[in-house]
Amino acid sequence: PSHEYKLNFKKSKEVCLSYIQDAMLQKQWKRAAEFLTFYIESLEKDFSTEYMGPSEMIWRIGTEILCHHSNSSMKEFNSFIEQMKTLGVKRYLKVCLEHAFHLLCNGLIDEAYQNLSLAESWRFGEQTIIQNKELKLIQAYRGLLDYYSWCKQKNILLEHGQDGFEDLSVEQEMHSCFRKAAVSLKEIIEIPGVWDLFVKCYVDLLEFYGDHNEARQVLNEYAYNSKFPANPNAHVYLYQFLKRHGESKKSLISALKILHDIVPSHELMIDFNIMLQKSKKRKKRRLGLEVIFAALDYAGWKENVKAWSCLARQVKQIVMSEKHLDWIKQEWNSRKDWWPAFHFSCYLAKRNWQENESLSYEKALVAGILLGKDCKYFKYISHQGCKAQVKRFRILKKFVNKHSPVYLRISS
Amino acid sequence: MEFPAALFPSYFGAGPPREEWGPAPAAGWGEHGQVLEAGPGRRQAETAFVPRRGGTGETWEPADAAAVPFLPPNASCWVPSLAPQDILYRGVLRRKLQAGKCEAALDFTKQLGHFFVDHPEDAFGSLGRLLHQNFHLGNSKLRRHARESTIRMTALREEIDRLEARRGCPQQHLVPRLRWFSHLSRDWLFEVPLGLLADCVHEDLLLQWASLLFDDSPTGGALAWLPPKDEGAHTGRLVYPGGQAMNHLYFQDVVLEELPRARGSPAEFELNGRIRQVAAARADGEDFVGVRSDYHCGVWRVPARTGAAPTPLQVIRTSVPASCLTVSPHLPGELAVCTQSGAVYLWNVETGLQRLRHDPQTMFFRDHSPWRWSDFTAHPRVLSCADRTGLQCLDARAPGRCHFDLFKVGEEAGCQQGERVVLPMYLGKAYPSQHLITTQFSVYMLDERLPLVPVLKWAHMMKAPPLFAHLTPGGPDGSHKVLLGSSRTQELLLLQYRGEKWGTGGGSRSACQLAGPPQKLHSIAGCLQHLPAQLPYRHRLLQQRLSAPAAGLAAALQEDGLQESLLVFQLSEAGDVFYQRLTHKAAPPPAPASGDEAAAAPGSSPLFDDPASSPPGLGSEGEEQEEEEQTFYFPQPSPVAALRYRRWLKALSKGCGEPPQHTRPPTFGQKRLFTHKELEEPSGPSALHRQARQRLRQAMRDGGRIQCWDPPAPQPPTLPQVPEPAGDPDPLSARLTAAWSGDCEQWREERTSFNVAQRQQALRERRRRQKRAQGRRSLSASFTSSLTYQSELSELSDAPPPPLSPGRPREVS
Repeated sequence: PSHEYKLNFKKSKEVCLSYIQDAMLQKQWKRAAEFLTFYIESLEKDFSTEYMGPSEMIWRIGTEILCHHSNSSMKEFNSFIEQMKTLGVKRYLKVCLEHAFHLLCNGLIDEAYQNLSLAESWRFGEQTIIQNKELKLIQAYRGLLDYYSWCKQKNILLEHGQDGFEDLSVEQEMHSCFRKAAVSLKEIIEIPGVWDLFVKCYVDLLEFYGDHNEARQVLNEYAYNSKFPANPNAHVYLYQFLKRHGESKKSLISALKILHDIVPSHELMIDFNIMLQKSKKRKKRRLGLEVIFAALDYAGWKENVKAWSCLARQVKQIVMSEKHLDWIKQEWNSRKDWWPAFHFSCYLAKRNWQENESLSYEKALVAGILLGKDCKYFKYISHQGCKAQVKRFRILKKFVNKHSPVYLRISS
Repeated sequence: MEFPAALFPSYFGAGPPREEWGPAPAAGWGEHGQVLEAGPGRRQAETAFVPRRGGTGETWEPADAAAVPFLPPNASCWVPSLAPQDILYRGVLRRKLQAGKCEAALDFTKQLGHFFVDHPEDAFGSLGRLLHQNFHLGNSKLRRHARESTIRMTALREEIDRLEARRGCPQQHLVPRLRWFSHLSRDWLFEVPLGLLADCVHEDLLLQWASLLFDDSPTGGALAWLPPKDEGAHTGRLVYPGGQAMNHLYFQDVVLEELPRARGSPAEFELNGRIRQVAAARADGEDFVGVRSDYHCGVWRVPARTGAAPTPLQVIRTSVPASCLTVSPHLPGELAVCTQSGAVYLWNVETGLQRLRHDPQTMFFRDHSPWRWSDFTAHPRVLSCADRTGLQCLDARAPGRCHFDLFKVGEEAGCQQGERVVLPMYLGKAYPSQHLITTQFSVYMLDERLPLVPVLKWAHMMKAPPLFAHLTPGGPDGSHKVLLGSSRTQELLLLQYRGEKWGTGGGSRSACQLAGPPQKLHSIAGCLQHLPAQLPYRHRLLQQRLSAPAAGLAAALQEDGLQESLLVFQLSEAGDVFYQRLTHKAAPPPAPASGDEAAAAPGSSPLFDDPASSPPGLGSEGEEQEEEEQTFYFPQPSPVAALRYRRWLKALSKGCGEPPQHTRPPTFGQKRLFTHKELEEPSGPSALHRQARQRLRQAMRDGGRIQCWDPPAPQPPTLPQVPEPAGDPDPLSARLTAAWSGDCEQWREERTSFNVAQRQQALRERRRRQKRAQGRRSLSASFTSSLTYQSELSELSDAPPPPLSPGRPREVS
């Protein structure tokens, strides 16, 4: 009979859980809450060895319900979570972290800070790998909040400093915030991961105190350590740092070159192209053409007027100087079988003309040079432009007609 | 298009997956995941944070109580697909077999037995002919001279029959005679060597079982929605398979009005294979529809003009079943095809096929599944290739050299042990570089620019792996809707995600967030309870039909002025298309008013209510609200939906026809219960014995039963003959008789096709009778005048009643 009882108990537990699940998935939070009050009984004689026991499920389900239930308040949420924290030792840190997230998202920064510092000081036997990770995260988020209060004090000081008035206690508090933030932020960004927020804050701290070498090292490590994922933001932060500190063009270009290699479709590629076009070196201008062509390969750039005008400008330059036509030819070779359908179809000509005149102008210029004056896209746009008596389209038509031999050289 | 200025924090590790939890029922709830500073653009005193999961989403409410049939039922009798009980051991043996191990016990002997019974010529043909003279199967005794060369097999046959009758009986043991015969003949009796045959049968059983556990052939789904060409237009197209073998392709014009409706008859193409997948994408203003069956893939073009007929463009044949077909959203007439041999092709209608990869091995670790998938990416020349272990991106211009790993089942994405890729999908319609990847446990969102690290991960808690997915991009401020659908369990889940812009001045995008709680949508099977009541066996058939595995999923966004609604179409394996509508509630749900807040005293927390003190229904929240909740829990279908149900049901019973009229009731052969010998007169039975036997025979002949075994003193009085109904029976008994014999439908049709005069006559007469017997209203009168009858008549009257064939034997009357 005891076996049967256990079996029945298990079965009714499962049925109850499926009712809860069903209600939650239909957003019937009140109904789910009613069922959950019954499910709490399943904590009794919980000998389950499954990964997710009833206590974890109650935490998860209860949290979710309280987040959506129309009658719940922050007070109840807190008291529920406090009870959940006592239910499982292994889960304690996770529950604390999630609790802090909830408080942060509701604007309760101070409460979140208290919670995080409390969780940080919690010790229980030996920690598992996951618990260790969670603890590091708790410290990092606490450090992040320290950083924000440092910012606040800094702003107070800066404002007051303008008045020629100094407050020692504020300054001291600010420094202590800095120390606390720096220590915990530094710790987590050494572990492989995506730590955009933490890195940015840490670098900001270091820069404020003038430790540029350390900041540069941190950013270099974040961008180039092969144990870290290939995060485009790491390179962007490095580039921005270099730019802020007035580094040479060469180092800026080399930072962006690496970004180009990993993400050819990054929005900084326009800046990169502009920078390269201005360069006096042939090789760099060549790279510029490569960069802008590569960016326009991507679907997300299809209607980007800036990118098209960059390409149009550079192509125009090359055609007028009649030097380096082979650059265009080389770029065009790997694209001529699909760019016409991708960028220069009749359908797109009509749509671009209707939706964005300047886009169609830039594209028509490129199309006219790459595909010749008989290309449908160019013909349609120049015809429409001349019909509408827009001056630049007439000039465009003249330009393309004048340079029509170029097309033959590119396509041969 | 811009890359988020900051991503949510996460750890990154390499290597095989570490965790091993298996499916966890509530894993998707209660987590914010991580938080991020909500935008540097905001000028606020305090920093604000946004969660990765748990932010507010849009409110989409189901407009009806259940899914509603969109098209008439697929006109053919559907043969239910294989069920576990067809190939598994049942009863005691199963329990015995399962006691040791937890694997399923395949009923191998039964299948082998079926083969011998169904194909005796193939199994024993020549030896049977050879031994024909030497085996005697009759009941008579063998003659002396024949005994030299002939053996009597009757007893053996009877043993076998008895064995079959006692199937599943715990007391069953093999009779020595059978054991002897099988030992004797095992080596020479069979035409096909038994070992070889057994191997083949076993292998096939395993395959069948594997496909029962998880059938990946419908991955991607066989339903596609081609949205209206221009904004503001209301006519789109639905592309779906149908027909008895699901080998007809239909393009149906659909008008999106208040209720979606099919316009005109669909364009139809007959293909020579079951349609597994229908994929569609719009490139250059034209829709391209790819259709995959096992050994053929085809592509159709649907021109921009409304009403223009779709044109088939090209067909390719594969020697190994194809497992994937996707259509390029970038270039017209370009598709990606994968076969189970591990080959990935880029298929261009003009330039033909280009093989990008051919590798029977899986990419990241060894997995036995031959399933492969490919989709397009933000770069028109770069394709993603997937197998169960992960995703790689290949450059079609140099597929051997240029590739990178986009997703790996491993520690990089925080996967679990045993987790496998089920369906990847390119989400280009929302953001050009994002991909959705579903596994049996979770959904992942990947960004090509940050490979290997999911920008979003969520445990979907679905009971079966999601094989279908559909993306409905939201506007610039709205969230993007992803629908996930599973096949076997018909689950449908709506998720919302967004990457909103900081402030209004443009700038960079925020990291991807899951918005709002997930929402379960109606399944096809769920409408069963809203259909009119059926006879039990009909109900069972209907249930079987409605709970057929799902085969596809599509959605259409409809904007009617301010009202936005999402139409979700679902296709079942039986070929039925159902839809449901979700309406967008533009205003955010009202925040709890201050009065409510006050009423919710600390003690009355929604979670810690003492259920005994306030049982559901008698809560302190007032009757009105309770009632509202009740109706929300058990809504009824709208009259329009009810009408659609009735029409669908009627068409179904018409299309499938009646079950064969002359099926005999199931009979049991007594041969199986008693051997020939036992049925013979015993040599010296006692008088009582004989008497009892006689009574037993009598009872069996009469089809009656024996109440008590005492010797009958007088002859039991013969039952009075049931009087034959003379003349016209009253309608109730006629209907009951009809219902009993299982052709209520026919009865109904006959009723409606009664000539009007006759009916009027009957009505007049009945009214007279009613007047006469004011006091005692007869049951039949109350029935025929009841509302259901009237409504049925009016329902049936929208189609002309079929003429009653004079030659048809009328069983009723």
